[in-house]
Amino acid sequence: MSTALRIWTAAKQVLSYIALLAAAAVFLFPFYWLSISAFKTRDQLFQIPPQFIPHPAVLENFVNVFRETTLARAFLNSCIIAGGYVSLAVFLCSLGGYAFAKYRCAPGREKLFAFVLGTMMIPTAVTMIPVFVVLARLDLVNTYWAMILPGAASAFGIFWMRQYIDANVPDDLLAAARIDGCGEFGIFWKVVLPVCKPALAALSILLLIGSWNNLMWAFVVLRTPDMYSMPLVIYLLQGEFRTPYGMVMAGGLLATLPLVVAFVVFQRAFIQGMTAGALKF
Amino acid sequence: MRTANRNALTNRLWESRHFYLFISPFFVLFAVFGLYPLLYSLFLSFTKYDGLTPPISVGLENFVTLFQDEDFYTSLWNTLVIGAYHIPPMFALAFLFANILNSTKLRGLGLFRMAIFVPCITPMVVIAIVFSLLFSTQNGLLNWMWRGATGLLPWGPFAPIKWIESENWSKISVSIVLVWRWTGYNMVLMLAGLQGIPKDYYEAATIDGASRWQQMYSITMPLMRPTFVFCTIMSLIGTTYMFEEVFVMTLGGPGTSSTNFGVFLFNAAFTDFRFGYASSAAYVVAVLVFVLSLVVLRWRRPVT
Repeated sequence: MSTALRIWTAAKQVLSYIALLAAAAVFLFPFYWLSISAFKTRDQLFQIPPQFIPHPAVLENFVNVFRETTLARAFLNSCIIAGGYVSLAVFLCSLGGYAFAKYRCAPGREKLFAFVLGTMMIPTAVTMIPVFVVLARLDLVNTYWAMILPGAASAFGIFWMRQYIDANVPDDLLAAARIDGCGEFGIFWKVVLPVCKPALAALSILLLIGSWNNLMWAFVVLRTPDMYSMPLVIYLLQGEFRTPYGMVMAGGLLATLPLVVAFVVFQRAFIQGMTAGALKF
Repeated sequence: MRTANRNALTNRLWESRHFYLFISPFFVLFAVFGLYPLLYSLFLSFTKYDGLTPPISVGLENFVTLFQDEDFYTSLWNTLVIGAYHIPPMFALAFLFANILNSTKLRGLGLFRMAIFVPCITPMVVIAIVFSLLFSTQNGLLNWMWRGATGLLPWGPFAPIKWIESENWSKISVSIVLVWRWTGYNMVLMLAGLQGIPKDYYEAATIDGASRWQQMYSITMPLMRPTFVFCTIMSLIGTTYMFEEVFVMTLGGPGTSSTNFGVFLFNAAFTDFRFGYASSAAYVVAVLVFVLSLVVLRWRRPVT
């Protein structure tokens, strides 16, 4: 009896493992294909039957993509855009979230917060055109600001930080800092922010992913090759007649790796960040 | 007396000056890139505007044109069809995986979760190009496998499937990419939902002699409703406004066969520069999506 049961349990485990491994393999396959395609020549890319391990593996795609496109510059641009956007948005949202959470006596606080919540429901599709017009009037098209400013006032970010500060920053801590003679901004900077590291990390990651991967807005506002972001360089490599797929794959691999590596290291914060929206429900 | 009141309010405002100071950068930026655009785009929806010459008021003309625009209806229809193709299998897979992650004690589940989740953090433009290689009619991997598999049949091999080159398959191809990309996201949300159900419910049900399926039907499903509703609304919004998945892989084609609303809107605005017309379309669909979300939300009744 107990032997049969143990065999059944073991068999179930083995079956679960096989099912999970198969599923994981299917989901990881496009990454595998991307990685090996980056090391193939044009002939190898379209060879039938396909090569599952490139033989020979060539590095020419990586050399060419740096030589013939502005990918190196685009990497720098993407870093500046993502870094600027995430820092600005996280700073504004945590400062605002702190104010909404802790200055309970301020007249109009509730109404202003309800207003912020209401703005979360506005789809960006509705504001997209006027935002472009505003950027054009401010003469900011084809600058980093065009990628950084429009999304920086994130209503969700303020909401997220307010919830966290409300629940995790005790009033006694703020009172103690005030007695020690700390200024109001000093309290926020030196006392509140260090306590909020998990929430800051999750929000940063959510914003970072959106910014790093954004093709559409880059397509609209970035005009000259020296301003292109990584997704835009990769997109524009696609030609009408002949796309240099090897270069696309090499560039694509380089655009994908930073986030994937960061994800493997900070898995928990990534998942928390990506699913942060579910909390408001 | 009134002066005293006013002084009291002034005092309160002054004492809360840091509050206003701290929220003002947000509100300044929001006014410029959120509130003003929202109102301006409502104004634009009643005008003809190409971004260069000043907007000309045209009354309701944009809306009349919109409701007669075949491409607009096609884009809404395609949005619905792509939603219908990808949401059910995606939810089924996500729910299955979430249950496995929740119930089994196997080593290495963290790695599995990572493998399923990682697609949704990757740059869509790269992924769309990888998939268009895999989908390629002449020398794509999928058609090579299709040929190999159907070659085993006596009446095979079959003709290659024109994944992204035919009107029948283009929506299916987009849906496959969407399932691949968003299953992990939904899985994590559903896992969180499952973990939020108190264990005693199941223990009590087991004592009462309820089978696993009965427990699934009468405990898990009702209590998972809020999660399902959230996932549904997110998918609805995502499918309506998605852009890169379609634009990079099929350009909305062949013809307009895979043009969802996001691509329709982008083309109206930034290919044709019909800013007024695009604004009216954006408003109409925003209202439509909002109403649809409310309808779905009604399903989220409290469970007793």
